[in-house]
Amino acid sequence: MSGESPSSVRKVVVHLRATGDAPILKQSKFKIAGTDKFAKVIDFLRRQLHRETLFVYINSAFSPNPDELVIDLYNNFGHDGKLVVNYACSMAWG
Amino acid sequence: MSSAQKYVWKGAIPLEIHLDESEVTTLPAPPPAIVLAPRMGYLPLLFPLLKPHFTATLPPGVDSIWFDYNGLPLKWYIPTGVLFDLLSVHPQRPWNLTVHFRGYPTSLLLPCEGEDTVKWSFINSLKEAAYVINGNCKNVMNMSQSDQVELWGAVLNGNLESYRRVSSKLKLGIFEDEYTENISLALAKSQQNTGDVDAAGQVKTGRIPVRLYLWTVNEEFDDFEDAPQIDNWDKVFYINRSVEIHNEDGKYFSLNDAIKRILPEFFPESSFVYEGDASFNQSPTEEGESSPDPGPSCHTPEIAEIKFVRIQGIEPKLEIPFSWVVNNLMNPEYYLHICVCLKVSKASAAQ
Repeated sequence: MSGESPSSVRKVVVHLRATGDAPILKQSKFKIAGTDKFAKVIDFLRRQLHRETLFVYINSAFSPNPDELVIDLYNNFGHDGKLVVNYACSMAWG
Repeated sequence: MSSAQKYVWKGAIPLEIHLDESEVTTLPAPPPAIVLAPRMGYLPLLFPLLKPHFTATLPPGVDSIWFDYNGLPLKWYIPTGVLFDLLSVHPQRPWNLTVHFRGYPTSLLLPCEGEDTVKWSFINSLKEAAYVINGNCKNVMNMSQSDQVELWGAVLNGNLESYRRVSSKLKLGIFEDEYTENISLALAKSQQNTGDVDAAGQVKTGRIPVRLYLWTVNEEFDDFEDAPQIDNWDKVFYINRSVEIHNEDGKYFSLNDAIKRILPEFFPESSFVYEGDASFNQSPTEEGESSPDPGPSCHTPEIAEIKFVRIQGIEPKLEIPFSWVVNNLMNPEYYLHICVCLKVSKASAAQ
């Protein structure tokens, strides 16, 4: 798609926070294109943590559908210029 | 509760469900299953109805149910009525679907382990909606176990009264809307002139959670039978934005206003500009409100035309007050699901 030149893609700052006994990442803040799906954040965490089963939440509250766009999540649930994503190795918030 | 809500809750799609050929091990092949699927339900919930019908013919293996329509695997987390409104462009009744119990396409569909997964997805959507409406989802998270069971049961069984009883505890009443009864009456009397209802009905303003399914076409079609089919999910933009209702100058806020606010890429302010592929790179703004900033790059101004808007199987007039739409046509997880087909000019769509 021709529209995906770097300047036209809005980036969202994602702040990754470990919950429970999940390992803490060396780098906790990442920029991700708003046009990416939330699935990309989940995949990234899976690769970083080498775990297949992972529970990923926004604002310590809910797990959005992986098909949702990062920019939509940011606009709906972001605070102070970032989207807070919590991850856990076991279910933290039903 | 309004009569419109009762109709919406009773809404169902007649389905004619065939078992995928690769899973037929007996001769003759089993006849298709004919079922009425609630609009507000989800396809995997049909498992208890379909399994007994097809069980004798299935090859050995472990069941994991999924469906396709003309080869397109159906996303199970989208309510059945929304799938129908979106994919059966020329509404087909009964709607012909194929069911599979084997070979789950894990690369195309999110995993689903039956009713528990669907319920989990529903509750998560409800929390998201609560967050959009109230800025937190404490009421959903603090729901008692028995209330949660009752709420889910009400959705499963299409029990509006039970649903209202439990959901009222969540305090997610979006806004009081004196339109509802007026409009119902007005609609009953005549199908036109919904535009002249007094604006005084809109009492509160609020953020409305919307899931909008957008597909664009670039060729004219007069008949839905000639409309292009959606054969790939990449063609559907899944947009989750909230709409803030403002009561500006006593002007009421219509469905048309809401759609244009959700899709500023296509309708910046009142002029019609189509931005090509840069569409969804919306700028993150402080208020979470869409800013119709088309950005600095060169965008060809093109005309985007709404071909149709479908909500709960209805193609409402775009002048209808948005508050009425929200209060009557939203799904039980407090999301309003809107299917929109836009026609954009060939020149811009080909970019």
